[in-house]
Amino acid sequence: MAEVLAPLTGKIVDILVSPGETVEEDDELLIIEALKMENTVYATCSGTVKEVKVNKGDSVEEEAVLLVIE
Amino acid sequence: MRPYFEKMPTFGKALKENRIARSQESRAKIEAVEAEIAALKKAKEDVGIPAAKINERGTLTVWQRLEYLVDPGTWQPLHSLYNPEENEEGTTNVVDGLGKICGRWAVIIGFDNKLLAGAWIAGQPENILRVTNLAKRLNIPLVWLVNCSGVKLPDQEKFYAGRRSSGTPFYRHAELEQMGIPVLAGIYGTNPAGGGYQGITPTILIAHKDANIAVGGAGIVSGMSPRGGFDVEGLEQLIAVTRDLKERPPGRVETHYDDTGFFTHVCDEEKGVLDGIKTYMRAIPAYDPMFFRVAEPAEPILPTEDLYHLLPFNQKETYIFEDILARVVDGSEHMEFRPDYGPEIYAGLVKLDGMLVGVIGNRQGMLPKGYPEYADYPGIGGKLYRQGLIKMNEFVTHCGRDRIPVIWFQDTSGIDVGDAAEKAELLGLGSTLIYSIQQVDVPMMLVVLRKGSAAAHYIMGGPNANRQNAFTLGTAATEIYVMHGETAAVATYARRAVKEKDSGKPLEPLAEKMNEIAQKYFDTSRPAYCARHGFVDEIVDLKALRGYLKAFAGSVYQNPKSTCPRHQMLLPRIIRG
Repeated sequence: MAEVLAPLTGKIVDILVSPGETVEEDDELLIIEALKMENTVYATCSGTVKEVKVNKGDSVEEEAVLLVIE
Repeated sequence: MRPYFEKMPTFGKALKENRIARSQESRAKIEAVEAEIAALKKAKEDVGIPAAKINERGTLTVWQRLEYLVDPGTWQPLHSLYNPEENEEGTTNVVDGLGKICGRWAVIIGFDNKLLAGAWIAGQPENILRVTNLAKRLNIPLVWLVNCSGVKLPDQEKFYAGRRSSGTPFYRHAELEQMGIPVLAGIYGTNPAGGGYQGITPTILIAHKDANIAVGGAGIVSGMSPRGGFDVEGLEQLIAVTRDLKERPPGRVETHYDDTGFFTHVCDEEKGVLDGIKTYMRAIPAYDPMFFRVAEPAEPILPTEDLYHLLPFNQKETYIFEDILARVVDGSEHMEFRPDYGPEIYAGLVKLDGMLVGVIGNRQGMLPKGYPEYADYPGIGGKLYRQGLIKMNEFVTHCGRDRIPVIWFQDTSGIDVGDAAEKAELLGLGSTLIYSIQQVDVPMMLVVLRKGSAAAHYIMGGPNANRQNAFTLGTAATEIYVMHGETAAVATYARRAVKEKDSGKPLEPLAEKMNEIAQKYFDTSRPAYCARHGFVDEIVDLKALRGYLKAFAGSVYQNPKSTCPRHQMLLPRIIRG
């Protein structure tokens, strides 16, 4: 089980995966807007997306859990 | 040094399926801009008299001459859309680029004989000066296809006089010749006055049998001695003189081959002139490419086509610079310089057509936690911080020592600002980079991948580095401006907004002005505008990028003015540790 954390404070502008979806390491998971840029958050490991803990438009703090990969 | 260069570490990641799916819209936008640029280039090619009519007169167009002269597949056009004075003709009336002739690189330029018989028009002197500077920087021959009717007389005030006017290229020719760089000219048609000097100032003059070069042509000779006005009697005399001079213009082959001997050769056929240029190109000093190759040439392992999915059209979207670079360099291999320092900057050695080249580029997106180390705020790629500036200074200096040419890739929003940044010496480090670039004196080129902005556009090997930067390329995603339009609007009107608010005035008119500024910045930073006004020397398709990089490397290593034996290079050893 791996938690994907917000690398910095920002706003979720896009979620590219859904629960149950299989992902590979380095796949794009979601986009977080911070410092005027849309930053891609990548999968840190391969697996299945167990849970997405944020919604599009959410503001998140640094190190908040964004989703969980099993 | 074979173990260093023959097989470098591979880099760059394969394209993911979800990335391909997500970037379809971005790809479509890039391709739409590339199609727009291609259409503008085609319109410029078609300007003036149709090629068929030129051919009916028994002559070739400048494009047909280029096609015959240049080795197939090597032509890398430059300044295709350059038109800095916004001429109604849409062109500076010269065509130029880098190309191989008989296996040797040359800077090649020709007058477009379809338009005003190749006349001088506004903006042309700047175009020619860029081309002569290019030959100087790369130390390769300048080849002219002269076919120039002289000044477009109704517009003479726009380009005849001044420090950088139509006469300046003649001094540049002399400068090139002093430096040992040959200027070869194929001469066609009637070349009076400025056209005559265009024909006489090169090193070797190869003329077509119907060509002429003269201090003054038929028009000037028949119009000499102003009489204070025109009347019918005067016109009758003018007509008689003009008829005679049209039959026998001054400066014909019989004068400048038989009498003065200015023309080195005269050819009966149009293509014979081009064959003559080829003969001289075979005779110029040029190393065989194997002389400076550090490895066998190899195509990138990762497909160049992937670039359309990796470089986001959306300026706010981040990407991985190494994934871009790995798709344009030999074998997708590199040796990275100081990977653990200055994370906002990539610096490393790569191979192009087997030749060693240094690369510096902006990384994008999030930077490691705690960086920049001098500030209590997070850093972001595209910006320059203390370590990145130091790293670029070091890398450029080492490249100078090892005589390695440098290719810059810009996508930068500027140097970090604020009190902490000032205390971290960013102003001084930026200017230090300019000093380092000037100091090293190796040929450089620049690709503005997306954003070229603020002082970072200058210090990262920008076109402003006149003596170092050979040429600058843009892409469909390029935008160049001092700052984003909305930032500029705020900087211009923020104080006024406070005043208007305090005095109770409506804010709508001010908002409208601010929107106008933002729109103007947008309009004047697009790829076509950048090309037209010379912010870049060419907008290129992403799939064509590698061809230009190889042309740069091949030109630099064709006849370098100074070299470093590979076994005496320091930079590869510093990288290996």
